[in-house]
Amino acid sequence: MGLIGNVLYYSFHPSELRAIMQWKVWHIPVHQRDEKDETETQKTCFKFLDKTSRSFSAVIKELHPELLLPVCLFYLILRGLDTVEDDTSIPLATKEPLLRDFKDFLEQDGWTFNGNRPEEKDRELLVQFHNVITEFKNLKPAYKEIIRDITDKMGNGMADYARKAEFDDASVMTIEQYDLYCYYVAGLVGEGLTRLFIESELGNPGLLKRDQLHKSMGLFLQKTNIIRDIREDNDDGRRFWPKEIWSKHVNDFDDLFKPENLDIALNCSSEMVLNALEHVEDCLFYLAGLREQSVFNFCAIPQSMAIATLELCFRNPAIFQRNVKITKGDACQLMMESTQNLRLVYQVFRRYARRIHKKNSPKDPNFLKISLVCGRIEKFAETIFPSQSAEEAQRRLTGAATEEEARKAKEEAEARQDVYFIMGLMSVVVLIVALTMTGFAWYMGARFDLAWEELKKGNFRPPQHLREAPGTHQEL
Amino acid sequence: MRDTRENPSLRNILISGGTGFVGSAIARAVAEQHPKCTVTVLDRAPPNGTHELPDHVAFIQADVTVPDTLYNVLQQARPEIVIHTAGIVPALSERFGRRLEQLVRKTNIEGTRNMLDAARQAGVKGFVYTSTCCVVTDDMSMPYENIDEQWPIPSSSLIYGESKAAAERIVLEANSSTMATCSLRPSVLCGPGDPQLLPPIHTCISKWETPFIIGDGYNLWDVTYVTNIGDAHVLAAENLISSRTAAGEAFFIQNNEPITFRDFCLAIWAQFGHTPPFEIHIPRCMAYVAGCVYEILTWVSGSSTTLSRGSVGDACSVRYASGDKAKRILGYEARVGIEEAVRLSCEDYARRNGIELPAPVSDKKQQ
Repeated sequence: MGLIGNVLYYSFHPSELRAIMQWKVWHIPVHQRDEKDETETQKTCFKFLDKTSRSFSAVIKELHPELLLPVCLFYLILRGLDTVEDDTSIPLATKEPLLRDFKDFLEQDGWTFNGNRPEEKDRELLVQFHNVITEFKNLKPAYKEIIRDITDKMGNGMADYARKAEFDDASVMTIEQYDLYCYYVAGLVGEGLTRLFIESELGNPGLLKRDQLHKSMGLFLQKTNIIRDIREDNDDGRRFWPKEIWSKHVNDFDDLFKPENLDIALNCSSEMVLNALEHVEDCLFYLAGLREQSVFNFCAIPQSMAIATLELCFRNPAIFQRNVKITKGDACQLMMESTQNLRLVYQVFRRYARRIHKKNSPKDPNFLKISLVCGRIEKFAETIFPSQSAEEAQRRLTGAATEEEARKAKEEAEARQDVYFIMGLMSVVVLIVALTMTGFAWYMGARFDLAWEELKKGNFRPPQHLREAPGTHQEL
Repeated sequence: MRDTRENPSLRNILISGGTGFVGSAIARAVAEQHPKCTVTVLDRAPPNGTHELPDHVAFIQADVTVPDTLYNVLQQARPEIVIHTAGIVPALSERFGRRLEQLVRKTNIEGTRNMLDAARQAGVKGFVYTSTCCVVTDDMSMPYENIDEQWPIPSSSLIYGESKAAAERIVLEANSSTMATCSLRPSVLCGPGDPQLLPPIHTCISKWETPFIIGDGYNLWDVTYVTNIGDAHVLAAENLISSRTAAGEAFFIQNNEPITFRDFCLAIWAQFGHTPPFEIHIPRCMAYVAGCVYEILTWVSGSSTTLSRGSVGDACSVRYASGDKAKRILGYEARVGIEEAVRLSCEDYARRNGIELPAPVSDKKQQ
């Protein structure tokens, strides 16, 4: 969209423009990265962070100083791993040991890798990986252990997957495999981050007790991306939608993209959306366990974006044609709402759940399931933030006033008294002025006694001759 | 599905209103889960084909409003547990009026009192009362989002809610060390033989009423499948002869899957192969006025209508409860989900009314 396009778009979507401006002007980060005290290698790491991810770098850089560097490095290390995995030019014989041993490279001073093909997007990160290693070695041992452990699990998971792709079919067959795949690429990140939050005492230790919770945080994001990227992934020869789901609707995966199968394809995509929505309650539960504002923002922003993206993809024929994206205005609005408090984030989820609900079609075989999952999301939000309490209902029923209401009634009574007092004072003043004027007139010789006599006779108006026009007087 | 703890076995149970929609479902649940239990069914009406009763169930014809007969029946049957479901649920056309008030109060309140007295005299150990969520939600002046058992009971609502609330209070006050009592409050029910919910929703299709959405269409609602209610009663009965943690308590019972009223209707219509061709939103206030007009027309013509101020309120209201207490104390969880519930209810309705259902939507696939 060029300048003219933008001008046109925003003149018809002023609220989006407002959201963008509000975000740019009013958003104050909870913590700001202090570049002064950073070492050269740290600066390089943040530079790579900016390069590899635009969306994540912004939220990471606002994190609590305690977690800023660990999370940044965690992200870069996983991105490095990902860059090895993604590169189809690396033969399995090289790739597999690289992935499995990646955790050990983290401790090897000066380890770099330049075996990526030139067109690989984040090639440079691995070429200069020694910067990451230098900083990693300076981290607190507890953080190092967490990052190492997740790198180990993820590296092995990716290696298994690469092996499978080489020797037999790697396409995702069952929903279980789909969940497992998402767990390796995203669920593990959720686990690692949760452990970092708890280690730094910025998160509730209870979050680790139910591993379903942090797993869902990652899975929800990953599944949303997989739904959104259907077209792009398919063009690249990758299929992440599990056969267990799509085979219910089409015989061949490519049929999803044929215009004549649009209705079927939409039903298939809504089953995928339903599958993703099943994680929402866990995610909402998880967010309630975060203590520190910057950590909350860090987790809540991607989740809000995900539910909005999911809503955008839901029953949207465009996903089979191109990559859809939420608008910048909506993104800013969501970021604003996700960086304040839990209640507001729940409202965002409720809002989008209702939009999904509205788009739901009874012709869809999963109509009822989708409706029920939206209902569950609303019920969950209502459980955490009840819109009314039993006590309130009791009071409403008995008509008894709450303290708040009693205070208000008292204030009103006081205000009324003030008004009466001022009115009384005014009448006294008027009375005094009137009396003074009358007294002064009497002193100057006004005959009130005569006036009184005339009034008693019923002469309320001056006599006829005094009332005649001044013109007639002159003739006399 | 049921938890692993040892369920106490029920030996002798009497179900009032046992040939009705709910009562027969309870009888079936008892027969299924406690095959050795003696089941006596007491009802004003003899068993009919609509609500199937298990074999080996003794039927006694009696009216709960006649104390003497009840006394004799109870003395004869000597049950350990009484489940009292007998009561009047006014039909939709009478739900919002006061015409049947005397009858409803007599059956629902006096009937319950008679039943309690007879049970006490017969040495019954546990008394389970089938109440309704309407004891709270019939007062349509406020929304009920995720309410729990601490919610107050309004002093006046509709004749049904009022009478059930009064009866429930009597039952819970009668709780003692000799006879433990508890009350279950199911939401709106559906299931095979359902006389009240599915039929009017189905007739909307032939009346061309399906495109109209009253209110915003987002109001959530609880529905319960009838066999789940049967399960809940069995659990309550088991509790009252063992730990008695439920004694003197009331419980909201539902499927715990709140759904919008609109979607519930859409799902039913979809089962019959109908999808509204378009949608028209009617604001609540407008529908209320229309309801008022219809009421007057009905009053003039003497016919019955689906639209009235009360039914508008029903269709727009938010009513769902929390199932936490029932889960914690009774261990109740719905065994049949809403999706299956809708399918089974529609299949039964179609069979009984000779309607042929189209192939389920889920079977439609690319050719």
